[in-house]
Amino acid sequence: MATSTFQWWCAATGLPWNWQWQWYPGIHIALLALAGGWWWLGTAHRWSHRPWGWFAAAWLILLATLDWPLGKLGAGYLASAHTLQFLLLTLLVGPALLKAIPAEGWARLAPEGSRLHRLLRFQTRALAGLLVYNGIVIATHLPAVVDGAMTSQLGSALIDGAWLLGGMVLWWPILAPPAFRRLTMFGKIGYLFGVTILPTIPAMMMVFSDWPLYRLYELAPRVWIGLSANADVQLAGLIMKVIGDLPLWIATAVIFFTESKQEQHRDGG
Amino acid sequence: MIDAPGRVRQAWRCGGLLVLLAACGADATPLSPAGFRGVDLAPPLPVPELLFTDTDGEPWSLATETADRVALFFFGYTNCPDICPVHLANLAAVLDRMPDDLRRQVMVVFITTDPARDSVPRLRAWVKQFDRQFVGLTASDSVIFAAELAMGIPRAFRDSSTAGSEYLVQHAGQVVAATRDGMIRVAYPFGTRQRDWAHDLPLLVAHGD
Repeated sequence: MATSTFQWWCAATGLPWNWQWQWYPGIHIALLALAGGWWWLGTAHRWSHRPWGWFAAAWLILLATLDWPLGKLGAGYLASAHTLQFLLLTLLVGPALLKAIPAEGWARLAPEGSRLHRLLRFQTRALAGLLVYNGIVIATHLPAVVDGAMTSQLGSALIDGAWLLGGMVLWWPILAPPAFRRLTMFGKIGYLFGVTILPTIPAMMMVFSDWPLYRLYELAPRVWIGLSANADVQLAGLIMKVIGDLPLWIATAVIFFTESKQEQHRDGG
Repeated sequence: MIDAPGRVRQAWRCGGLLVLLAACGADATPLSPAGFRGVDLAPPLPVPELLFTDTDGEPWSLATETADRVALFFFGYTNCPDICPVHLANLAAVLDRMPDDLRRQVMVVFITTDPARDSVPRLRAWVKQFDRQFVGLTASDSVIFAAELAMGIPRAFRDSSTAGSEYLVQHAGQVVAATRDGMIRVAYPFGTRQRDWAHDLPLLVAHGD
């Protein structure tokens, strides 16, 4: 009986869980391509500075999220690990990647008048951000989608990609450079509050559902016998709501205090 | 020719329809002719009168001890890395949510297919971690084989590709359910979900009333 199988990207195998390290070349190639792309972009567009810290943070968290062991656990064993991946990609990697491109970089990437500029400008609207982000959240948490996608490497990679895109869409109205029009302070606060509402539905379904929501995780080989499929799904719902909301509330507080301070300075000056 | 806003509207409609279909079609488990989500066994088989040893080391007769109760028989082993713990954990979770009077009428009987390693204390510790009411049974290879044969279950065997004391045992993945009349009527292959058990257990208990 095989204990592991070669995969390019983490996907469910149905094999018993073990703590043996496994190499997923597709993930490492994608991460190298991301680093190469970022380096090339900075060189080609002659950025005056490279936000190394943001890129390194995004890259390392991305590696930890997609690679063994979290990637393997989330792909085929634990709904709670899958949810943790979702939060890391949308709440940490997404905004860090946006910040990894300086304002001048965005201006050169999407010059005024270009289609991309119009699209990015449109996406700074709160409603556009809410619609796209929530659409991704709902679609990628439907049982039929999760059960179907996570058993294939392509499907699993697409879910990861959708979450990464979702994270960037989510934070764009907050972090977009001024050239793309930004929300007012109260607009941002209202937007972040709005973001917390819809994911409550899948989170509550996980916590209060009579039976495990996902076939994949209900029938997956157990990682620990003490953690039942029901407890795992409930834990996933709690992680999604409790831990998931935390960065948004922190961001709300940061926005409120920094922008009111700036306003006071402007009024005083 | 559809204009750009029209295309966007069409895409939203298609997307919405797909989401709706995905949400609605996720759990449409077909019912057997008798109305179960498991697979009807035709013809039903009687629970064999075979003597096992339970986790207290006491003799335990399959047919006598399960008389007038719904019995869910599963053949597996405590070193099983995948389906055995999943089946037992799911059954425990479902029974935990069932009303007491229904729960009292259902027995989960785990029969080891690896008596050499599954000693009585090991079997007790393993089975009882899922539910204190679950029954763990062991016997000689010949009695276990006779039980498998009588219940229409393929014989378990030691996986020759695994060596030493860490060997695996290839065994059937289905749970078979006997109704209160002592007849094994329904099989539940691996993949049966908790919601399927929740649907079928009351029907199994009510069968023949």
